[in-house]
Amino acid sequence: MGRSWDAIVIGGGHNGLVSAAYLARAGLSTLVLEKRHILGGASVTEEIVPGFRFSVASYVVSLLRPEIIRDLQLPRHGLEILPLDGTFTPLDGDYLWRTNDHAQTMRELRRWSATDAEAYEEYGLLMVEMARFIKPILSAVPPDTIRPDPRDLLPLGGLARTFAGLPRRQETAFIQLMTMSSSDFLDQWFETDPLKATMAASGIIGTFLGVRSPGTAYVLLHHYMGEIDGAFRAWGIPRGGTGGVSESIASAARAYGATIRTEAPVARINVRDGRATGVTLESGEEIGARVILSSADAHQTFLRMLEPETLDPAFTDEVRRYRFRGSSGKVNLALDGLPEFTCLPGSGEHLRGAISFSPGIDYMEEAYIDAKEGRFSRRPYTDVIIPTLVDPSIAPPGKHVMSCFVQYAPYHLAEGTWDDTQREAFGDAVIDVIAERAPNIRELIVGRQVLTPLDIEKTFSLTEGNIFQGELSLEQLFFNRPVPGHARFRTPIRDLWLCGSAVHPGGGIMGAPGRIAALQVLRSRRMAA
Amino acid sequence: MRPPENGRYDAIVIGGGHNGLVCAAYLARGGLRTLLLERRGRVGGAVATSELAPGVRVPLLAHSVGRLRPSVMRNLRLDAHRLRLVAPEVRSVALRPDGPPITLWSDAQRTAAELTIESPRDAAVYTGFDRQSRAFSGLLARLMAMTPPDPSRPGVADGLSALRLGLGYRGLGMQDGRAFLRVLSMPIADHLEDWFEGDALRAALTWRGVRYSAMGPRDAGSSQTFLADTAGSSDGAAGETVFARGGPGALAAALAAAGAAAGLTIRTGATVEAVRTRGDRADGVVLSDGQEIAAALVVSGLDPKRTLLRLLDPALLGPQLGWQAGNLRLKGSVAKVNLALAELPRFSDFADSDEARRRLRGRIVMAPSMAFIDRAADAVKAGRVAEPPVLEATIPSLVDPSLVDEGAPARHVMSILVQGTPYHRREGDWDADRESLGDGVMAQLEAVAPGIGAQVVARQVLTPLDLERDHGLTEGHPLHGEPSLDQWFAWRPLLGFASYRLPVEGLYLCGSGAHPGGGVTGWPGQNAARQVLADWKRRSRWR
Repeated sequence: MGRSWDAIVIGGGHNGLVSAAYLARAGLSTLVLEKRHILGGASVTEEIVPGFRFSVASYVVSLLRPEIIRDLQLPRHGLEILPLDGTFTPLDGDYLWRTNDHAQTMRELRRWSATDAEAYEEYGLLMVEMARFIKPILSAVPPDTIRPDPRDLLPLGGLARTFAGLPRRQETAFIQLMTMSSSDFLDQWFETDPLKATMAASGIIGTFLGVRSPGTAYVLLHHYMGEIDGAFRAWGIPRGGTGGVSESIASAARAYGATIRTEAPVARINVRDGRATGVTLESGEEIGARVILSSADAHQTFLRMLEPETLDPAFTDEVRRYRFRGSSGKVNLALDGLPEFTCLPGSGEHLRGAISFSPGIDYMEEAYIDAKEGRFSRRPYTDVIIPTLVDPSIAPPGKHVMSCFVQYAPYHLAEGTWDDTQREAFGDAVIDVIAERAPNIRELIVGRQVLTPLDIEKTFSLTEGNIFQGELSLEQLFFNRPVPGHARFRTPIRDLWLCGSAVHPGGGIMGAPGRIAALQVLRSRRMAA
Repeated sequence: MRPPENGRYDAIVIGGGHNGLVCAAYLARGGLRTLLLERRGRVGGAVATSELAPGVRVPLLAHSVGRLRPSVMRNLRLDAHRLRLVAPEVRSVALRPDGPPITLWSDAQRTAAELTIESPRDAAVYTGFDRQSRAFSGLLARLMAMTPPDPSRPGVADGLSALRLGLGYRGLGMQDGRAFLRVLSMPIADHLEDWFEGDALRAALTWRGVRYSAMGPRDAGSSQTFLADTAGSSDGAAGETVFARGGPGALAAALAAAGAAAGLTIRTGATVEAVRTRGDRADGVVLSDGQEIAAALVVSGLDPKRTLLRLLDPALLGPQLGWQAGNLRLKGSVAKVNLALAELPRFSDFADSDEARRRLRGRIVMAPSMAFIDRAADAVKAGRVAEPPVLEATIPSLVDPSLVDEGAPARHVMSILVQGTPYHRREGDWDADRESLGDGVMAQLEAVAPGIGAQVVARQVLTPLDLERDHGLTEGHPLHGEPSLDQWFAWRPLLGFASYRLPVEGLYLCGSGAHPGGGVTGWPGQNAARQVLADWKRRSRWR
């Protein structure tokens, strides 16, 4: 057996790296093992077409916790997040364009509906209040629902008191956000269909749910959480692509003394007497450690890396029951120039933010219904950004990179499998939708990469291609994530912990699971000492 | 009890639906001089029997009454008021084009035994599922029996209720306890996929979770409605199918008789136009003919939207609550077709034998797959009429021959719930499409029971618009509000007003729009009466 470490972190995605940095900072000898040749997991920049560097999977930073940026001093390690300005929704002969310029957005909304413009302000204020209330939950450790530890109930009790102190209107909004569909929630406020569809779209990203599915309203808040973290620029495009985030965290971890190994795929977690003792790499190399943190998802960790007999069958059943349901794909395009939209020609400011292909609620729901029937959306919802307009360094001069996040692409197809033909047909469907509004797109494409959920699974070890390491549905959140009774980052195996998006508070380039897990590990060590 | 001499009642109950009747009867029993006002010529609301042809009676809207609280039955001595319930052993039979029907019996063992042919695996776990459903429903029943707390102002009573609830929760044990918290917010489709492999069985059970609502099987919260459908009874996974002898109207009659025996005054043909207020309290009602009746308390059995927006002065409610009340979600999605039949229809799935006919005594569900139910729900969400809708038929005359008189032109009656017919449609209107809706349902029935069309002696079609216009169900919603998680428990109908007390002092809500929601349970009426009586007692002490 090789050198024995204080801690091994499996997986060099952004959460694994955050965990490692925190552990190393506390003085633990820490080793990160990454399967691929490159760090970052789904938060990675790669040169797919020569000269063009793509944020292959994750394409914006959402809610990277400000405390992590601060604690790990990430700006010193090269983190720079560039603002993403506004959302442009192209339509037939018209468009809806919201920007960070409040007055301009108001004028634009008034063009559509005076009452919506008025409601938009009121809505924004309420959402900011709600985001303020919810934020502490993102850093909380979920309680065990059967044998609650009073220490974990304390912060929750505080939360309950804060809740009771809120104005009734905000309490109601909180309950609605937790239970309603984004479409129903927005119906209370707005009448403009493209506005509702574009806002609702943020509620379905990464989930196998539609805009009319209860439980999708909650994610509407995320945008406003970004806003209150605005001072830290927690929402935007990292310079150099999303790999830039991972690189800065890795650099911080190394500075604290962590060792990071790439091309070191873990085959097995070694368990002796109910206790994790180390890992065996696919090369056969064994490495010992006192504590193991896995940033891989629950299936990878429990069903692939552990011998079945080390786990209670009831627990394994629960893990099998955990839902992944990959639902999204990605199309990355290398472009010779900028797309020209029929509804707003020219290469103006509208191209610098998100370009959302979400013309109406029905359109969004039809896309979902296709997925429920087991096929990719014939007319998919697509969220496009052109990062080169903000960060030209990632492509040759005058050339552009276009990132298209696409929904829906179900992992399980009713007919056939995700082979090359299906992949290209899916890519074509996306280009068709874009070309409808920006006909010159086809001539501009000099390179294209299409990622199906199966590709995402294979490349990033995300089961069923779920970008959040498990469906963010109501019953898989908080004290149920990933398995009821095991939501506290610990696993049934002693000294084995989870630190990825599989645990509370879930996915996105947020870093919160990695941070809370590391802090929990450190606390348990202090208690043992 | 004679009407009060000064013309002032202690309590007025608006609306003589079953919950209004239950609440009023309890209030009268509690010693309050109570007046119940009903707009129509009869009481009962959605619990009614209609004469479809001379001597042929059919359940007008609701066809079963099996969820009625046993304690209501007992407290109001409904058996002494001639209510007789009949329950077939078969609870439901789910037809499907590609195989034999799935039968859910009251006896879980028997259901399991029959499932063996289809899937030994499903058969093996069915009784376990039934047990878990009962355990979960038992805990849910505790929640449903309480007055929900106001999370902003928790009181001592709320603390005690929470404690009782906590003990009930612990009683589930570790495994069920953890599962309960997960299942409660789950889509019923996922919950059932965790248990069973047979799609037809899943669909048959799913139907219980989405009946009467605009939810689809993949919508979070539908497991909760599935469990709530069983709460308070001992029916388990198969659910109830219980008929009132003589039709559902017999329940209304028994409730009215029980109320009268306790001193309740009932006036039919009296439409309440407004709740009268003095200062900021309710102190009576104004009828459509201008008559004013004074009362210390007013209890509304109407749905919350109608109560808050049509009976109250908007200034009293204020803009915020007015906005919230306007956003209450009660988009109806069901219609009803009732048939008088010359003969018992022959279902092609059943041999023409007595044994086979016994299976027709429960609910006959035409929802062959999960995707079928899901598509119908998708249509509703998009404002389209489902093609085809989900049908649930009962033939109550098989269980209760008294529905058809000797020598009547029909031998049987069929009551059909049609789900997938949105009140809010993008195109078309229900007045023009009433008969085509009926024709569509007949065509659907013809496919499973060839020749049924020729047996029809009389037909009645009730569209969602009819449910609103003729039966006072706003937007045609039979449950007075979607039973979804956003209109549940301490926020049904609105957060802060789930304790049956509405924003105006002295005004209460006792219908299905209040906790714990709709269905022929009498539950909201009973809970509301408990709250009203407790408040009354406290008030008298102060006077």
